[in-house]
Amino acid sequence: MRIPLTLFALASACASAALALDLKGRVQWTPQCPSLQELGQAKVVLDDGKLRGGVTRDGSFVIPDVPAGTYILSVIAHDYQFEPMRIDVFESDSLPEVRPYFPGTPLSPAAPATLPYPIMLSARAKNDYFVPRESFNVLAMFKNPMMMMMLGAGVLVLLMPTLMKNMDPEVLEDFKERQAKMANIQSSLQSGDLASGFSQLLAAGDEPKAAASGSSKGASSGGAKQRGGKNKRR
Amino acid sequence: MRLLSLLLSAVCAYALHASEAGVVDWHKPLAGVPLLQSPATAPTFHRREYENGATRSVILTATQSNVLAALNPANGSLEWRHLFDDDDRILAYRKNNEVVAALSGLGGAYLRLFDTLNGDLLLESRLHSPEVGRLFEPESLGAAVAFGAGEQAKDIYVLTDGHVLRCIDRHTGDVKWGWSAPDQTSLVIYSKIVATPSTVYLLGLAKSFSSYTLHVTSLSPVTGELVASSAIPSSVTTGFSDVVVLRDLRVPELDAHLVWLEDKVLKSFQLTPGLKAKPAVNKGVAYKSVHDVGVSEYGQLVAVKDDGSGRVIRLSSEGLKVIWEYTDSDSSSQRSDSIYAGGLDVDGYPYIARVFWSHTFRQASAHVFASHLAEGKGLVTGFTFPFKTGEHGIISHVAVDAANPEPYRVLARLFLTTSTGAVQLWQHDKLQWTREEGLSDIRVAEMVELPERKVAAHAGVENETFGTRLRRQLADAQDFPQYAVNFVRRFVTGSYASVSASVAPSANTTEPLSRDTFGFRKVIVAVTSYGKVYGIDSANGDVLWSRVFGLGWAAQVGGHIIPAKLFVTRTVGDGETPQVVIVTQRKANNGLVDTVLFHVDALTGEDATGKSPAADVLQGHDVVSGPIVEAFLLRTSAGRAVVLLDEFLQVHLYPETDEAQQAFEKALPLTGHQIPPKVEFTGRHIAYPTWSLPFPPTEDIRSVFARPADPVASLGKVLGNRTTLYKYLNPNLVGVITGPSGSVPLSKAATCGVYLVDGAKGTIIYHAVLPSVDGVCDVKATLVENWLVYHYYDNEVGPGQSKGHRVVSVELYEGHGVDEKIQSSDLTSLANETTSVSIYEQSFVFPRGITTWSPTSTSYGITMKDIIIANENNQIQSFPRRFLDPRRPKQKPTTQEMEEWLIQYDPVIPDDPKRVAKTRRIVTSPALLESTSLVFAYGLDLFSTRVAPSNTFDVLSENFNKAQLVFTIGGLALAIVVVKPMVARKRLRERWYE
Repeated sequence: MRIPLTLFALASACASAALALDLKGRVQWTPQCPSLQELGQAKVVLDDGKLRGGVTRDGSFVIPDVPAGTYILSVIAHDYQFEPMRIDVFESDSLPEVRPYFPGTPLSPAAPATLPYPIMLSARAKNDYFVPRESFNVLAMFKNPMMMMMLGAGVLVLLMPTLMKNMDPEVLEDFKERQAKMANIQSSLQSGDLASGFSQLLAAGDEPKAAASGSSKGASSGGAKQRGGKNKRR
Repeated sequence: MRLLSLLLSAVCAYALHASEAGVVDWHKPLAGVPLLQSPATAPTFHRREYENGATRSVILTATQSNVLAALNPANGSLEWRHLFDDDDRILAYRKNNEVVAALSGLGGAYLRLFDTLNGDLLLESRLHSPEVGRLFEPESLGAAVAFGAGEQAKDIYVLTDGHVLRCIDRHTGDVKWGWSAPDQTSLVIYSKIVATPSTVYLLGLAKSFSSYTLHVTSLSPVTGELVASSAIPSSVTTGFSDVVVLRDLRVPELDAHLVWLEDKVLKSFQLTPGLKAKPAVNKGVAYKSVHDVGVSEYGQLVAVKDDGSGRVIRLSSEGLKVIWEYTDSDSSSQRSDSIYAGGLDVDGYPYIARVFWSHTFRQASAHVFASHLAEGKGLVTGFTFPFKTGEHGIISHVAVDAANPEPYRVLARLFLTTSTGAVQLWQHDKLQWTREEGLSDIRVAEMVELPERKVAAHAGVENETFGTRLRRQLADAQDFPQYAVNFVRRFVTGSYASVSASVAPSANTTEPLSRDTFGFRKVIVAVTSYGKVYGIDSANGDVLWSRVFGLGWAAQVGGHIIPAKLFVTRTVGDGETPQVVIVTQRKANNGLVDTVLFHVDALTGEDATGKSPAADVLQGHDVVSGPIVEAFLLRTSAGRAVVLLDEFLQVHLYPETDEAQQAFEKALPLTGHQIPPKVEFTGRHIAYPTWSLPFPPTEDIRSVFARPADPVASLGKVLGNRTTLYKYLNPNLVGVITGPSGSVPLSKAATCGVYLVDGAKGTIIYHAVLPSVDGVCDVKATLVENWLVYHYYDNEVGPGQSKGHRVVSVELYEGHGVDEKIQSSDLTSLANETTSVSIYEQSFVFPRGITTWSPTSTSYGITMKDIIIANENNQIQSFPRRFLDPRRPKQKPTTQEMEEWLIQYDPVIPDDPKRVAKTRRIVTSPALLESTSLVFAYGLDLFSTRVAPSNTFDVLSENFNKAQLVFTIGGLALAIVVVKPMVARKRLRERWYE
């Protein structure tokens, strides 16, 4: 009553409705995930997990009787992350096609790159369940642009007296005048005298133009001082 | 853009810090309650022998949670476990020295091999499709696995579907040969394999008129050729439970014998390849049953005589021989029936233990029989052990392991499984460890707030006299110096209570349970399906108290208690110790169902009604003689009462006081049902339905969910342009998930649906049709405030389609636009405006499937609600609300949108796993701190942690360095002191020289 082996295998294959394929593959042990002890109980599933296969100690897995179709293969492992893959199983005898897959992208058109079959998987990363505590880091603090601007301003303030000392007396005079003007504008703005402050501001804006053209048409209210300055420079 | 990335990093930073692991969270891995129905799945000791002669033991068991597990007998820790899928039930496991073979799935669809010591999966082989497997009753019938003997040691014989035998190579998984019963339609169901070096025997039962006939087939182990097949003239009525195959591995020349019980007579049949032997009859003594106690391969079994006394029978060259009869083992009212268990010692000698409970001494006793000791005459070692029946129920299974350190001394280790789901290891009369595996099947659980220490200490001081009060206050004042010192020390060193510190009490403190500074410590009251209620400390997962439910009158006939609901009827806010009421259904073995309430103190587990003493089982309160359809908690100013509706929609109240009755009459409305104020002739109110909502005939209701009763802090959402969207907060909103109807034939077009229904009048507020995968609706939905989230698997394949898990986030707002306000939370159900709602929805691609989810819950509802998810990967994840906001803009966010902290829409939700196995439900509970929510997840394992969805904004950060602050201020003060005279001098000089 013994049935020959091949016949028996055929009989069991015929039990499932259509010609189906056993999808084979292997999880490669990498330094990151060196053995099944590290990986823990893991399974490889197609789509939502109706078709699945467990990962054995040597890393191999078999998903039995996969009917023709397009599937997304993913690995269910507690502590490691794996890339999902797209598997196309055909009606004909040809080998299934394996492609990389990015979640959320449409299935068609299929990515042109194919990966070898049997499927080779390797852990992308170990899940890190913890976040480092935000600690006080001086360097990181100074990388902040606001902090850098402040630092720049501070340096300027410190260097100003020495710079002033080394300046040409004429330039110094001009600089002082400018500073006085700015202070004037500021004080008038602060005191609420907007009109005069505005006009002063305008005058200040006109001034470089005047300087560029070389003429003195920028004369306006409170311009006497400026002109004097300009004349001096010339 | 920088702002955006900063923001994102801030969102993700709620997770655990490495230093907090194991401090703020705990995880208790469990294996589940051992499966005891069949000896093929019951717990056994296994001793692995190494080549150098060293040995190591584990306890192997298959469990009701569908897990194959190995426990360490020394300390009770879980050595390894393998979780099987829910549609892949474990049928049998079998071990040899190095590997465990497990057969699972319908009819034995899968064979898996594991390493005995570390649980590595060595081989997984699917023998047939699970859909075509034959279902037997019991499940384990028709499937067996056996290891090859002698030269075929590398082979495994697997019997599936009751008629197919395969010989599989252990290393490659290749089928060496297969044999299938010639006539599959015949009524012979094979269920046992006996593998000897020369022959493989298959034992089956053939159904005849009123009983079964034993059928034996012998095959060649090398080629699988049929040698002989014959029916043995026999008539067995109880199936395989009274059939044992005896053989002696240490005496291989002895042929195996098939032993069975027929009309109270022990019969045996010698198994020879030709099956030519005649059945032998052992006349004289009438037996009640025959037990394979696990040492049948060593030639011993236990037969129980008609009067209940047990005998050990051994296979010898002269046939079966009674070698021992346990004294005083006959049935008696003074003790329970005996449980027999067999085990081996290091040298492979069999031991048989008899364990029973003595009603008179209220202690358990064990008698261990060793046949090889005392010069082969047999030695019995007896001892009693203090098993706590009030705490663990009754002993339902025993596994034994023995050692014989010196002649005439036997050391036995007993592994007990109890009816409440606990497993214990006793070494003689000393309890080594207990595992509460019943916690792997928690049905209902709730977190109960603890009282403050003061309240705990000074409860009941209202009515004291002046004298006693003075004395008490003086006594309290004694502690003042210590308090003052503490205060100063705290002020100086800055050692405040920390949010990331453990709140577990230090060991060996006897003070009563009390709250910690931030309210992180609570009592988790959990009720299991094994009739036991536990109080678990949420700080470290320790069991604070546990009580076994009493069966009431059903104790006479037996029965079990199925917990249905759990209500907190009194909280700390009421000024007294918190109490819970557990609503359960008691199913007696005679088929009667009653609704029983258990009312316990949540801090101590004491019966709040004071009926049952602390050391005994908890007695319930029968409220309804019959099942109930619904139970809910009535919250009124007068207190809380449990309202129960029985089959006839009659209203029952607990506690049945006049105040509760009046409060109920005042409240009365019931979603979808109305209760007339008039009392019916039975003395009870009877509810009647006010509306019914017929769903399409192609749809069946799968589940109904409602919004949790959490406070809502803000009624609207202010947008970037200073307009407001008012949240739709109809208190009667219920969600319904429908699936394809069972009465309609399954078609491709079968769909699932999600509905939001106004429970007061049956208006559909929201409806979505979801695809169904092969008629299965795996839709999970949750509703919190005005936010509905549902998750499903989308399998639509077509051009441009992509399959995957989807999550849809829906927000409901009042009116048809901004600034429209209908005050939906206070609106009467009769108003037309209840349907005026605007819906914002968005779907996202979800990284993986989920098993359950729950929104976080905080005390005032100000903190953002995150979603805590248990995924198929057995992890617990927290997804921020911000990612699931349906108003996420599709383009780069404008300034106004940035002001609302909206981030650009991205269909894929990033996968950020943060950490339990087979989670069934997640309970979230508020802490005193608004920012923090406590999470307790249960399923197979227990897991608890804290989450802070919007960071811990209400406490100082852990990084806060008080010393640094003090130093900085001190430094600045010093600088002022130093610089001040300098500045004064400078000013003076300026005055002089200007």
